[in-house]
Amino acid sequence: MDSFLPYIACMTLALTVYAALRPAPPTVQVGFIAVGVAACGWLIGIVIGSLTQFGDVSHGIFFIIFSLFAVAAAIRMVTHDRPIYSALHFVLVVISSAGLLLMLEAEFMAFALIIVYAGAILITYMFVLMLANQAENPEDPLSQSTYDSIPREPAVAVAVGFLLLCLISGTVIGGTSELDTTENVAQHWSVLEKLPKQFETNVENIAPDFAWPPVTQDGNSIRHDANGPYIVSNDGVVLYLDASVLPTNTQLVGWSLVNDFPVTIELAGVILLMAMFGAAVLARRAIELTERDKRKAILGFDTEETGDDA
Amino acid sequence: MMTSFAPSALAGYLIVSGLLLTIGMIGFLVRRNLIVMFLCTELMFQGAAIAFVAVGRYLFDYSGQVMVIFILTIAAAEAALALALVVLLHRQKDTLDADAYGELHE
Repeated sequence: MDSFLPYIACMTLALTVYAALRPAPPTVQVGFIAVGVAACGWLIGIVIGSLTQFGDVSHGIFFIIFSLFAVAAAIRMVTHDRPIYSALHFVLVVISSAGLLLMLEAEFMAFALIIVYAGAILITYMFVLMLANQAENPEDPLSQSTYDSIPREPAVAVAVGFLLLCLISGTVIGGTSELDTTENVAQHWSVLEKLPKQFETNVENIAPDFAWPPVTQDGNSIRHDANGPYIVSNDGVVLYLDASVLPTNTQLVGWSLVNDFPVTIELAGVILLMAMFGAAVLARRAIELTERDKRKAILGFDTEETGDDA
Repeated sequence: MMTSFAPSALAGYLIVSGLLLTIGMIGFLVRRNLIVMFLCTELMFQGAAIAFVAVGRYLFDYSGQVMVIFILTIAAAEAALALALVVLLHRQKDTLDADAYGELHE
């Protein structure tokens, strides 16, 4: 029976999303979304088991709050019949997922997400929405364009979407415990070997007496045992390393970016350049030139005017 | 040093990212407004970004966060091109209804 619980939660969520997609008064829709969010909370609860899994209960509570906000705003975004409000709900999704990234210790990505998504991309969307949307009378529901309020094939879309969600939850439950991380921990520390200057400065900060450089073994100076990573100096002093020796998250992301993906950065630059050209070419308006204008543009003066003067 | 991370906590993050991806996909299929359809693809990008960072964090691998930088790049390029196309189409027929553009030839 327990193995069916995630599927029941997925199905409840599917039904409420379907109900919220149907045209209905806003209060009824918000009610359906509240039921959907409760189903989400149930599903997340089944998956994580207990809040202590996060090591810290407050961490678990923040995770629940941020994820429920993200899901609620996402459902409201998909079901809202005014595009401007959809865009605003997407800002809420971005901010909640930035909160999730903060808890994953990805500070740089969290704030980059807010600046780039909520600050730049969403503003472009808002501009185009305001450009394209005719002024509507908010008092009169009939003034709302029908293509915004009537969904296309909601039953099929919800069924397909939540079949996918059932598959994802079935794979994720139990699947994550099969990942082995022991090798990755060693690799995580080995980045210090490639940054010798910073390694030396950081070790000096925690142990000023340590005789630099440490002894290397098979080319590596950092060794691992049950108590964690350590280094040994030439005179046999053993020093266990702690978090303060490692570079910060942002430094490590930058290191990974230029060390592991140098070609991809170039490609990203080319993609952005092409997007800029493409957008400029697409949005350009063709200007009709008369014969006289063309002649003026080439010669630099108006031939007909000079002709009149003569 | 990053503290270790329980597998079921990772599963929680992956489920949230799966939820955002699914809701974004449903939105893309269901909505008929062109701009909202593209907004829903951005929602799917969000789901993918959370999954990348969570798995990267679990495996002590920073490539996950690097992928988010590339996701941001692609999302920005996609937004610029898609919105330019939408503006172009809107000039032609004066509507944002995706069904109105079943035939694009003049």
